[in-house]
Amino acid sequence: MSPEDLVFLGVAGVAVVTALLALLVRELVHTIMWVAIFFVDLAIIYFLLEAPFLGVLQLGVYAGAVTILLFFGVMVTRKRIFSREAATGIGPYPLGLALLAIVLVATAGSSIPGGDLPIRSIAPATLSTTLFGVDGGWLLLLGLTMMSALAGAIYLVREGRDE
Amino acid sequence: MTELALVDVLALSAVLLGVGLFGILTRRNFILLLIAIEVAMNAAILNFVAFAAFGGTPAAVSGQAIAVVLVGLAATEVAVGLAIVLALNRLRGSINVAEAVQLRL
Repeated sequence: MSPEDLVFLGVAGVAVVTALLALLVRELVHTIMWVAIFFVDLAIIYFLLEAPFLGVLQLGVYAGAVTILLFFGVMVTRKRIFSREAATGIGPYPLGLALLAIVLVATAGSSIPGGDLPIRSIAPATLSTTLFGVDGGWLLLLGLTMMSALAGAIYLVREGRDE
Repeated sequence: MTELALVDVLALSAVLLGVGLFGILTRRNFILLLIAIEVAMNAAILNFVAFAAFGGTPAAVSGQAIAVVLVGLAATEVAVGLAIVLALNRLRGSINVAEAVQLRL
């Protein structure tokens, strides 16, 4: 097993554990902190997969902006920030185990090559050329979606404010 | 040049999708639901990045381009989701989705 494999396995383990902890701990603030670690962890995986632009984007957008937005969400909707969620009981765990079993069976039954493969590195310049050239339509669509989402979000937040 | 196994990355992505689905199906707090959706969305983005890393040149560049667009979409979704959280909190005084029954028949 190569050193890269070991690093990947370690980082992947941290990703799964932090994602699970984020959804299982009872304090919302702790949830957001775990999910922030999860986002940083995924950025490390993107760097391992030689996608540096996406790694930086993940750090800026997810670990930065989305985490802060979630903190704001908690701050404006709770009287006490560190208030606990109700415990979920034993109910969800059989469901979680069943989902894990489905995932493992689907992965084991696939015909994807199992050995190590070389990773193709793409320079950010090539990616930006594609984003503004061949895939320019996607970027335009994203911009339009963001503008309509912005209008929708402003409408939702302002609705009923004048009453 | 770095070498990794494609199946390892895809397995991680599948497990993360499972964790996200678990959260979506079991949690009732709107912010936790949003976080679960983000985990599942990140699993999908990881899939695109993995196939971009191990595919040929055109697939690689397109895969990463789609991943960039998906990151933007996910951020947009969180912004709209939090606007819904604020509206729900003002209307019901709680962000428990089980209590948001206005649209039920």
